Amino acid sequence: MTGRHGTVGVMIEVENLTRRYGAYAAVDDVSFSVRPGTVTGFLGPNGAGKSTCMRMICGLTPPTSGVATVLGKPYAALGNPGRQVGVLLDASAQHNGRTGREILTLGAIMMGLDRRRVDEMLELVGLTRTESRRRLRNYSLGMRQRLGIAHALLGDPRVLILDEPANGLDPAGIRWMRSLLRGFADEGGTVLLSSHLLHEIEVVADDLVVIGRGKIVASGSKAELMSAAGTTVRSDDDARLATALEVGGFQATPVNGGGIHTDAAPRAVGQLALQQQVVLTELREAGSAGLEEMFLQLTASDAREGVAA
Amino acid sequence: MSTAAPTKEKDIPMPSRLTDAGAGIPVSRLVSLELRKLTDTRAGRVLVLVVAALVIAIGLIGVFSGKPSEDKDLTDFLSLASLPLQMVLPLLGVLAVTSEWSQRTGLVTFTLEPRRSRVAYAKWSAALVLGIAGVALALISSVAFTALAGALRGGEQSWSLGWQVLLGVVVGQLLYMSIGVAFGMLIQNTPGAIVAFLILPTLWSILGSFSWSESVAKWADTNRTLSPLYDGSMQGDDWPKLFVSLLIWLALPMSVGIWRMTHSEVKSA
Repeated sequence: MTGRHGTVGVMIEVENLTRRYGAYAAVDDVSFSVRPGTVTGFLGPNGAGKSTCMRMICGLTPPTSGVATVLGKPYAALGNPGRQVGVLLDASAQHNGRTGREILTLGAIMMGLDRRRVDEMLELVGLTRTESRRRLRNYSLGMRQRLGIAHALLGDPRVLILDEPANGLDPAGIRWMRSLLRGFADEGGTVLLSSHLLHEIEVVADDLVVIGRGKIVASGSKAELMSAAGTTVRSDDDARLATALEVGGFQATPVNGGGIHTDAAPRAVGQLALQQQVVLTELREAGSAGLEEMFLQLTASDAREGVAA
Repeated sequence: MSTAAPTKEKDIPMPSRLTDAGAGIPVSRLVSLELRKLTDTRAGRVLVLVVAALVIAIGLIGVFSGKPSEDKDLTDFLSLASLPLQMVLPLLGVLAVTSEWSQRTGLVTFTLEPRRSRVAYAKWSAALVLGIAGVALALISSVAFTALAGALRGGEQSWSLGWQVLLGVVVGQLLYMSIGVAFGMLIQNTPGAIVAFLILPTLWSILGSFSWSESVAKWADTNRTLSPLYDGSMQGDDWPKLFVSLLIWLALPMSVGIWRMTHSEVKSA
């Protein structure tokens, strides 16, 4: 894939990354890579190891074993990383007593940028002049996220690494961020974006990496994962169709409110229905609903709700 | 994804979007940035103002207390002004380091400059620059107060200032600043490092007043070992004593502290 920078290959590469805290493995043998010009959603429940993994990619947490590279180099070997990789790991991790403008100014000085860049970025993320002169302690979480995104974009980077940037944004803010990231990727930029909510990133992500309990449980393009998410079918006689599916070697689970979810492809379901002479009233790929279901199943062992139940 | 991506091509060099994007951040830039960070927060500004206010207050006390011709020389006012500089100014050196952890700004600082030892040396250098500025302030104010004492109280003033004293004040201040930075790096926590910096040497001085620990204090109490430096009266075994005390209070915490800073995990919570 060729982006606006005429680059080819992998922008972020994670190989067998592991981080242990005593006996507990926060990240356990994780490998994935992020292609240029794409938005990759890094998905997992709270405490699955997303943030630890991202801190290792950025050189803040030393890995127990394994390697992570950004733009083909270990993060620490990037000369002036802010000009190549924009990072937002925690929007609240800023000095409470500094104004938003001062925080961006410090970043601009460090990266060796023109100060005008500060005003441009403030405008881009929709922070007004007055807001930019308030101290961070008076910022809402949503404003902190906007400031954090402004900080990440300050150095005009080719790669963005964002940990839960949609946290605290209102629906309009989430939509704004999606279109910002989509535009960034369409121009050849690369985004790694974490979230614990599938619906927050499935619209914007091209690829998905799903992590649960420190391990990768699924990864691939969104289209692949969607088609692997199975089929939803409704018919006049769901029970009969379900039996036929199971006899045919497929899984069939009843869906709340009627219908069946199955891992058979729509065509196979249609053929079975024809044989069984069951009238279909609805037949479609489960798509995002199926992906949601799969996400919940894949990560169920790690989900706190699952433990409580 | 991982299977589809052509990993073998990752070595192809990528053109930089901005001309110097690949070049490292010059240390001079890091130092001036750290100086700005020292004074762009309320805590930093308050500390600077407190130092200035104390220098002035203590100078005024010097002018109006005692007999007109007693302790009114330039060197007397200089050593008075040095007291708040020794006590309070190094706290800015402490804050320069600890705020990266207490305020969690390290998450940003160390992603923008992953070579953390450069950040450590930049903070140290910034603290030294501030120390020099402090000595300059002390010099100006002590000249002013000597003149004031002469005008208001009369008496005979000595304007002589030996190079040993001046050098001692400068070197001593740089050492105090360094000790502050070292404590910050070692402890990484603002209240902890400040308390340690202010209390430990005092505790040591109190211990040293007992006869059984007197000989230890001669070698390990920086308040004692630095005082001949400030007087410009360093001689004989003053030097090894100063050296040993600095080994304990500066070299040791600084090396362990820099190791901690470069090796510890930077987390947000």
